[in-house]
Amino acid sequence: MSETVSKDLHPLEKTLLKWLAEHGSGSDMEAMAGTGMDEGSYRRALQWLLSRNMASIISSSKTVTVELGAVGTVYAEKGITPELALIELVRSGVALLPEIQKNELFDRAQWGSAMGALLKSGVLKKGPDGLALNDPSGGVFPAVWSGVYSVLGEGGTVHLSQLKESVVAEVSSRAPKRGRSRAEFVINETTSSVIEIAPLGTEALEAARGKSTIGILTREILASGEWKNGSFRRYQVDIPPSRIHIGRFHPYALFLDSVRDKLQAMGFQEMKGSLAESEFWNNDALFMPQFHPARDIHDAYYLEDGIKVAPPSRDLGDKVRSAHENGGNTGGRGWEYNFEWERSLKAIMRSQGTALSARTLGSDPDIPGKYFGIAKCFRYDQVDATHLPDFFQVEGIVLGEDINMRHLLGLLKLFATEVAGATEYKFVPAYFPFTEPSVELHVKHPVLGWFEMGGAGLFRREVCEPMGIDVPVIAWGLGLDRMALLALGLSDIRDLLNPDLAKLREMRSTPEKLLGGGDNA
Amino acid sequence: MPKIEIPLADFLPLAGLENTDDLEKLLESLKAELDGLYEKTVKIELNDTNRPDLWTAEGVARGLRCWKNGAESHLDSLKAPEVHIDVHSNLKDIRPFIAAFTATGWKVDEDGLESLITAQEKITAGFGKERKTAAIGFYPLEGISFPVRYETTSTETSFQPLGEETEMTLAEILEKTETGMKYADILKGFKEYPILKDRSGAILSFPPVLNSHITGKVTPGDSGLFCEVTGTDWHTVNLTATILACNLEDRGAVISPVEIRYPHGEVTVTPVIYRDTLTASFKDISRMIGIDVKELDLEVLLSKMDYGEIEMGEDSVTAVMPPYRRDGIHPRDLMEDIVIAIGLGNMGPILPSEYTVGSAAPVEILARSVKALLVGAGCEEIMRPILTSFEKISTLTRTPELPIRISNPMTAEYGVVSNTLLPALLEVESSSGHAAFPHRLFTVGEILCRRDNSLCETQMNLAVSIGDGDFGEIHSILGIICHLRGLELSLKALDDPRFIPGRSAAVVINGGEVGILGEFHPGVLETWGITVPVAGFELPLESLRV
Repeated sequence: MSETVSKDLHPLEKTLLKWLAEHGSGSDMEAMAGTGMDEGSYRRALQWLLSRNMASIISSSKTVTVELGAVGTVYAEKGITPELALIELVRSGVALLPEIQKNELFDRAQWGSAMGALLKSGVLKKGPDGLALNDPSGGVFPAVWSGVYSVLGEGGTVHLSQLKESVVAEVSSRAPKRGRSRAEFVINETTSSVIEIAPLGTEALEAARGKSTIGILTREILASGEWKNGSFRRYQVDIPPSRIHIGRFHPYALFLDSVRDKLQAMGFQEMKGSLAESEFWNNDALFMPQFHPARDIHDAYYLEDGIKVAPPSRDLGDKVRSAHENGGNTGGRGWEYNFEWERSLKAIMRSQGTALSARTLGSDPDIPGKYFGIAKCFRYDQVDATHLPDFFQVEGIVLGEDINMRHLLGLLKLFATEVAGATEYKFVPAYFPFTEPSVELHVKHPVLGWFEMGGAGLFRREVCEPMGIDVPVIAWGLGLDRMALLALGLSDIRDLLNPDLAKLREMRSTPEKLLGGGDNA
Repeated sequence: MPKIEIPLADFLPLAGLENTDDLEKLLESLKAELDGLYEKTVKIELNDTNRPDLWTAEGVARGLRCWKNGAESHLDSLKAPEVHIDVHSNLKDIRPFIAAFTATGWKVDEDGLESLITAQEKITAGFGKERKTAAIGFYPLEGISFPVRYETTSTETSFQPLGEETEMTLAEILEKTETGMKYADILKGFKEYPILKDRSGAILSFPPVLNSHITGKVTPGDSGLFCEVTGTDWHTVNLTATILACNLEDRGAVISPVEIRYPHGEVTVTPVIYRDTLTASFKDISRMIGIDVKELDLEVLLSKMDYGEIEMGEDSVTAVMPPYRRDGIHPRDLMEDIVIAIGLGNMGPILPSEYTVGSAAPVEILARSVKALLVGAGCEEIMRPILTSFEKISTLTRTPELPIRISNPMTAEYGVVSNTLLPALLEVESSSGHAAFPHRLFTVGEILCRRDNSLCETQMNLAVSIGDGDFGEIHSILGIICHLRGLELSLKALDDPRFIPGRSAAVVINGGEVGILGEFHPGVLETWGITVPVAGFELPLESLRV
């Protein structure tokens, strides 16, 4: 601790330390009197010194004293309290209140309350002829005078602890916590300490003696060379910094960039497409029959009437139509239904990232080739903790003369370990309209446990043949939302796109930990 | 994906299982998932939308039996039909197709009846398009006199429907009964409705809605059933009937076919015994699965998948799909069954050996470069959804260009596609009054714009704003980005309803007008509930390409 304590002194600290160094120790009152500090400055200086171990408290005690309030001061000036005056009047034979109240020593209310107090304490009683003296000693009231008024009148201090119990009770009942100025008595509680200088304080005082200290280092101080004659005030370096706000990438964007980087590193080229798609590219080209349940009006967002997406060439359209209707040249028999060209041209918001892959197949891709896309997709879902109106899908394809099922599984295994940091994984048969065989990848994530990470398969011939692709094509898609939430320490998917800047500023930024099962939560 | 819940006491013996220990793993071969295991029932999710045969207890049980014991025979020795149904030509445009059979020799029990009802619900809901393309009816065989007549009748024809106390007209059934209301749309607009009667004229049912209470109520103990499927799609109707026949046969019933006499002399015998035949060359199989076919016993593998007839040729295999399946439309489908039978876990994953070079899309590389400069300028990146509301873009922000609307929005909150990113930044500003200022914000994202000939186009935009900032500050940010990228920036005064008159401008980069920059109008700030001055700019990211 001592190494880190600053030995630079505030002027108030310095004043107090100097006094302590001269006197060794002293009480609060003595120190205040000796240094000429007001109580506020003294308490601050003491608090600082105590926190830096430059002074210490030898002892402290609580004292409770009685002083006169405004009313009590008036009684002291009169030389008697209403109670004692009333006892004297009764003793002298004045027995009726109206008569008493004619006496102008005290006002009517003061006489009234004095009578009440005396009756209650049993000093007076009500007799057949009016008030009579019941306790000739006068009860507690003479003791109140002698114990409090007299002592204070002589300039002494009345400690509550030195009074008889009955006097304490009477005094306390006349010293209300509120409205003290109008009370008869005021009770003060004070803590007073005896303090002394500590070794660190002596050290600091010696260090500071005779030298000027520099606070903020300014250009002027540098230019004048003034710093050569002074010492630097030592800063308290262990206080927390004030918060500043800096420019930064959105954590979710960093996550997506991590995925992008990872896939590039595996040799994939990025595909880009359109937010709006024709049903042709979104569905037909993927051999999803026009009667497929996932093509229901409640599964995609349709664009306003009249808005179109550029149509595919008629030649390509005819090939896809044949694949659907009778298999065309694909070697299969197709879905055996009447394909509607009008339906193909309807514009929808892209509902699956695979639309990107379909477009890539149709635009003369590299063979061998690997492609990926991070595509905004739109699903007809209620927005809640696990659904956004639009979300990113990560999709891709691999084309190659010698590509087969085992490569598909090898790639999925690579995703499981490289992207999810999975410790275990398994492949499960699955169904997708555009792939056959189809596989689901289930991974055991270090934190999330088993979950379905993605789907994949070999594109059907009915998808590839119309596009003029003769080689096998692996298609895969990964669901990364749960991993993104985990990596970013969130539990509600809506927080990925939160409009509250204060919340955004609380999100961590550790992009190097986002993939591979990292847990930033 | 359909889910079925079936009693374990019925399912386990049917599937030849002692217990449910390996059920989860076994179900994988059927593309099915164990959705829930309860004390007396099991819930299974079926993921293959082209295999309605699996959406029943019998179908799943059969799959598991064959996986263990090999292929079974199905509807092997049907006799010639002894009874027939006459179909009237009036049904041509309403509900033209029917398939039927009888099942005898099996006494209906509680579980069997429940399973029939599950099949009826699941198959007709998904595969049968909510009973439009296929609806199922079951009747006690006893008391039905053949031939049965499938014809049309007036909407005022009346009978006592199943579950009702009194006779109702067909119109009343559609208006008043729960089932009627649910399926009324299928018959909307027709003057006459389908009806099924027996020879005596007794009404059996009002397809696709309700059976008769008198002739169409099956109860445990019945020992003969008449089953029919009606609908608008030939294959859906026939396949549904074949699936039901296989299911009842699995329970021990003897299936007898029914002849369907369509108008103009066309005749079909149902259930149709489908024999979809798939041939795959050994070369293609080896190439596709990555294992030399010589190392495989295809007959054993395909038998596990219930292929009963397999013919090994010189260089190819030909296999006949079981009659309850019509999803084999390409040799690839046969190969998938081989892969499943081998087991995906037994394939041996390998990596592609051919070298390819990875790369990010050019627009993403550009985005990263520009974003890095903005972060350097102290800007914080914002991400918001692309779907948004008309109110945010037009009413609140006063964007001059109208966004493209969604014609079937789920809520108005996500009723349009963003055509500008500035509203998203203003929304953040209006939600972040409590966050320390200044707010230097930017967002890079795709938007959808209108183009000529009513086409739409996706564009990657950049928008930047400063909350508690002014024209000069936002101009400086754009200025330093252009300077560092070596682009020539100028502003050309341009009033825009979003901004204070005289404090907005067209952004001109290398001579072309590309975007807008300005100090937002206090009226815009007020409607958004923003209490600090905001300045911003937006432009297409590509305009910053050098």
